[in-house]
Amino acid sequence: MAKIDIGPPDYKENLPPVIRENYGQWKYHEKVKPGLLKHVANSGDELYTIRVGSPRLVSVDFIRDICALADEYCDGYLRFTSRNNIEFLTGDASKVEPLIEACKAKGLPVGGTGNSLSNIVHTQGWIHCHTPATDASGIVKAVMDDLYEYFGRDDLPAKLRVAMACCLNMCGAVHCSDIAILGVHRTVPTIKHEILQKGAEIPSLVASCPTGAIRPDPKNKSVALKDEKCMYCGNCFTMSPAMDIMDPKNDGVAIMIGGKVSNARTAPSFSRLVIPYLPNNPPRWPEVTEAVRNIVEVWLKNARSGERVGEWVERIGWERFFTLADIPFSDKCIDDYIFSRETFRTSAAFKY
Amino acid sequence: MSKEPADPKIKEKVLAYLETVEKAKSKDIAKAIGEVKSDVDNAIKELAIEDKIEYLYITTTFVALKGKVGAP
Amino acid sequence: MAEDKKTPQLDELEKGPWPSFVTEIKRAAVKSPAANELLGLMERSYEDNKGHWKHGGIVGVRGYGGGVIGRYTDLPEEYPNLKEFHTMRINQPSGWFYSTKSLREICDIWEKHGSGLTNMHGSTGDIILLGTTTDELQPTFDEFSDAGYDLGGSGSDLRSPSCCVGPGRCEFACYDTLDMCYDITNEFQDELHRPMWPYKFKIKMSGCANDCVAAIARADCSVIGTWRDTLIINNDEVKAYAESGMNIQRLVCDKCPTRALEFDAINNELTVIPEDCSRCMHCINMMPKAIQPGKEKGASILLGGKSTIVKSAFMSWVIVPFMKMEPPYTEFKDLMYRIWDWWDENGKTRERLGELIYRVGMGTFLREVGLPPVPQMVFRPRANPYVFWQEEEINK
Repeated sequence: MAKIDIGPPDYKENLPPVIRENYGQWKYHEKVKPGLLKHVANSGDELYTIRVGSPRLVSVDFIRDICALADEYCDGYLRFTSRNNIEFLTGDASKVEPLIEACKAKGLPVGGTGNSLSNIVHTQGWIHCHTPATDASGIVKAVMDDLYEYFGRDDLPAKLRVAMACCLNMCGAVHCSDIAILGVHRTVPTIKHEILQKGAEIPSLVASCPTGAIRPDPKNKSVALKDEKCMYCGNCFTMSPAMDIMDPKNDGVAIMIGGKVSNARTAPSFSRLVIPYLPNNPPRWPEVTEAVRNIVEVWLKNARSGERVGEWVERIGWERFFTLADIPFSDKCIDDYIFSRETFRTSAAFKY
Repeated sequence: MSKEPADPKIKEKVLAYLETVEKAKSKDIAKAIGEVKSDVDNAIKELAIEDKIEYLYITTTFVALKGKVGAP
Repeated sequence: MAEDKKTPQLDELEKGPWPSFVTEIKRAAVKSPAANELLGLMERSYEDNKGHWKHGGIVGVRGYGGGVIGRYTDLPEEYPNLKEFHTMRINQPSGWFYSTKSLREICDIWEKHGSGLTNMHGSTGDIILLGTTTDELQPTFDEFSDAGYDLGGSGSDLRSPSCCVGPGRCEFACYDTLDMCYDITNEFQDELHRPMWPYKFKIKMSGCANDCVAAIARADCSVIGTWRDTLIINNDEVKAYAESGMNIQRLVCDKCPTRALEFDAINNELTVIPEDCSRCMHCINMMPKAIQPGKEKGASILLGGKSTIVKSAFMSWVIVPFMKMEPPYTEFKDLMYRIWDWWDENGKTRERLGELIYRVGMGTFLREVGLPPVPQMVFRPRANPYVFWQEEEINK
């Protein structure tokens, strides 16, 4: 039997020499240009980071390709970021430009640093998930193609973090992003009684519903649904395939904006729903790419230097945002779940 | 979880209980056989290494006798 | 092997400047019949606007309760190589640093046993290996184990802890995130590999309040670097920033959330009002050469972060304002064991820690876990008088 519980590989053995030698001794850094960071250590050593985007879903041959680049330019080391970018690390300034050229030649976009659009973090979607309301990789590819220039520019008002989750389970935790693209359902689940009658966990299914819409139906050894209470979260479907909530005609995408996780200036904040529904329109989801581009462009045009999307909207007011972005405001944008009241305007001061 | 060897008597009780159900959470097994949960968790760990039981992730993790629950 | 099907919609996603996942699946498809069928299955989803994977089932590796996620297509007759297409999660090295030697080793093992498709990385941080059969799971694991790799978490267990780049490259790191992640992952192997809790539990470590791993949004326990004394200002460097044309008053002082910075534009000198600073990182981000975190460094511990399902999204909130974070991290580990015991005892099935604390109240949680209430835990006190008094607090 193979050894178990050996734990993760030792990170120390995976650090490039310039990092081993200057570990914890970094003095400052400069953002040299989009995709290029320069860190300087107390010893005077310099570390150059070249950041490139990846599709996240990659073949082993792609990994071998980036290994070849790291072998040629970076002493055989690289790292990945929390947003699925690849970072090539070298202490040798003369390697930087040739490496950037080599990345571009391989079709790897260089950028994503400083005040730029970074890679979109996302979930599996139709590639590998059993509960998605939309695809993830396809929308991400379409949006990144459309916003490509902003990955390679770092003159945006602030950094721009976009995230995509293909259902409300949010494996990608999109809820604190500048722009969140979220797969949503809009119709109640169809109950497949024959599955439940085979002995599914009816009490846990009932308990899974956050609004109490699911009731036990002992006569049928199944459950019954109060349709008007269901807000299509899909938690019951996650629990049981008997609660089939997939609806190709009605599933789609919601857009939420203005979240952040950094504590800089303002407290971390949730993204807020501004567009409740856009249709699933593969392969390029034009309604989604247009909506995201519109929000980005309105932000670019109106935000002050240093303002993340949410900081900008909070300054001008959400009521102004809907006007500037020409997005219709509807009752769908007003919260009616359990923490709704704190979002109601309990003030007589506002704009038009 | 304890790093000590599990109590063989508890392991037997866990196996006996799992004969009577399709699957169960370790918390419910502990309650049913009247043992401390951390001791039961430890017993389950050893039984899994011995290939007598397996873990089953269906929205939360259950344990079941090896081979008792099939693929969907 | 199924006949090659046309995939016009996916082909469209090979166009455009951003690297294409479709191209990557096609590269894997050259060697893997399963990856080839995945193209057909994806095209099918693009035609009918729905996914084609069933709810998971029982698959695993001997001795482990997590790390493998069962995946089966609902169209096994048409796509026989996707009948079983399971995911394996391999625990990543701290900070996602790799030597090319280790990456190539991973590639070789995975190409031999699976589809050759991966996510670098999954949302929690693991190396995700997408697609293999039930029979291949144990041999794949055995080979990874021999090469020095272990499984990550899945199910109702501790998920693979993850951390930011930390002292590996960042001058902002207030503790050694890489070491702590490695240390606690090794300490908590049972919790990671043998799911025994009500639901999942995530720990993420960020070296400073910029929180590059989104710990506050995505982890039940968020460990966020901070300092307890005062930030350090180097006015020679402040002058250099001023002389380079930076508008320090507007970009730094006016954006300080607590107005704790004062800029003397005549002498180009910056001073901080120490008791007013809330350590948000903004000024340090703007002037990394001139401003540094203080000397007395450690971390804040926050609990409860999770996404929307079920009771809305929660961000973690402060539980311990400041804790020294040095090996062997005993104070942190003891706190985790106390919290897990309490959650395991009191949590309902599929109830995350934050939801449990919300349900029973912070007062109950703090008393039962043995933590002192401090004002740093709240933005502001309650606006109602509905207080739960304890027996010993009442005059008899």
